[in-house]
Amino acid sequence: MLKPLLQFGVIAASFFLIWFGLDRIDWMTIFQVEKTTKNIEEKLGDLYWDILKKIDDEITDKNVISPVDSLITRICDRNDINRDKIKLHVVENGEVNAFALPDYHLVVFSGLIEECENEAELCGIIAHELAHLEKGHIMQKLVKEVGLSVLLSMTSGNGNPEIIRQAVKVLTSSAYDRKLETEADLAGADYMIRAGIDPEAFAQFMFRMSENEKGLPDQLFWISTHPGSEQRTRAILDYIKDREFTEEIVLDSLQWISLKENSANH
Amino acid sequence: MMTTSSIGYIPSDHEAEKASNSYLMSLIAVIAGLPLPIINLIATVIFYLGNRKGTYFVRWHCTQALLSQFSLLIINTNGFWWTIGILFRDGEVTNQYIAYMITVFLFNLVEFIATIYTAIQVRKGKHVEWWFYGDLTNMICKK
Repeated sequence: MLKPLLQFGVIAASFFLIWFGLDRIDWMTIFQVEKTTKNIEEKLGDLYWDILKKIDDEITDKNVISPVDSLITRICDRNDINRDKIKLHVVENGEVNAFALPDYHLVVFSGLIEECENEAELCGIIAHELAHLEKGHIMQKLVKEVGLSVLLSMTSGNGNPEIIRQAVKVLTSSAYDRKLETEADLAGADYMIRAGIDPEAFAQFMFRMSENEKGLPDQLFWISTHPGSEQRTRAILDYIKDREFTEEIVLDSLQWISLKENSANH
Repeated sequence: MMTTSSIGYIPSDHEAEKASNSYLMSLIAVIAGLPLPIINLIATVIFYLGNRKGTYFVRWHCTQALLSQFSLLIINTNGFWWTIGILFRDGEVTNQYIAYMITVFLFNLVEFIATIYTAIQVRKGKHVEWWFYGDLTNMICKK
């Protein structure tokens, strides 16, 4: 009995030794894993954005873009997120919605800007979407719900139009699973605290939207695609309960009103 | 790593064919079973159950073919679930993962070559004992 045991030990040891030895080699560089992943994300991001901009017009008015850009820049700068990689698109659409696409495309609907009562609420949604981007949730969700083979065929230009349409729907109008949403909520709250923006505003916004949801289900896209808003509001409030932060306003009240007005004019 | 020995009698052509088929079964299962490693084992278990009352030569080789699947099952299953984790959960491709998958591939390749070689030799009526698995089979399979 001892002999087979020893032999098994030798086989197991050789397996781990080979594994350990191979682990010394930098396979990530050899196989260009990061570059390939980035290429796929870039192609998918561009493909998604190309489709979306055909549906809704992008707002290029500086009076709208600059203030939103200032909010994003504040969150990024205080959280070591590279601002340059974020591609902001403000879209002319009355739905209360914002979402992130692969390769750091961040789409904000003008309806969301109009619905927010202050900059902190808008920052809350932006921080939440940035958290999805930073934590790699976008590709995770796409692979899970659309499938890797479909995504690869989309990037090679061979995607079936109906499948592409469904794939677009996955990111723009359906929620991440509860675990990822909670992770993004709490990370978003952290981003806000570090950026000197009141995270409670995000919780309040979610609560307000969930209350309004019954009356206007079609317009409140963001909240209807983020279920369990009441529990999530409580979770955020619990998370930030004992956290201290100093509020530093990004936009003054005139700039905020101007942003809302300009956004509504489109 | 492999020794050719005698089992005390010369197996008939029919026995040699059946014994050889037990190894071929695991090869077919490798092709059909990818990427689900459990299918390899199920296929060899079914073949083993069908031949467990056969002659000593057939039983012995069915057992060796079956046992050789177990260690591969462990490492392949681990690789399978690791891959699933990367694709559908929050895992990411790491250097350690790639090194693991290459190691798994090498072990599967060695097993694949050894299985083909053994299937050919056993078909000729030669009794091939693998290192470790041969000893283990001798403990389980009695004349």
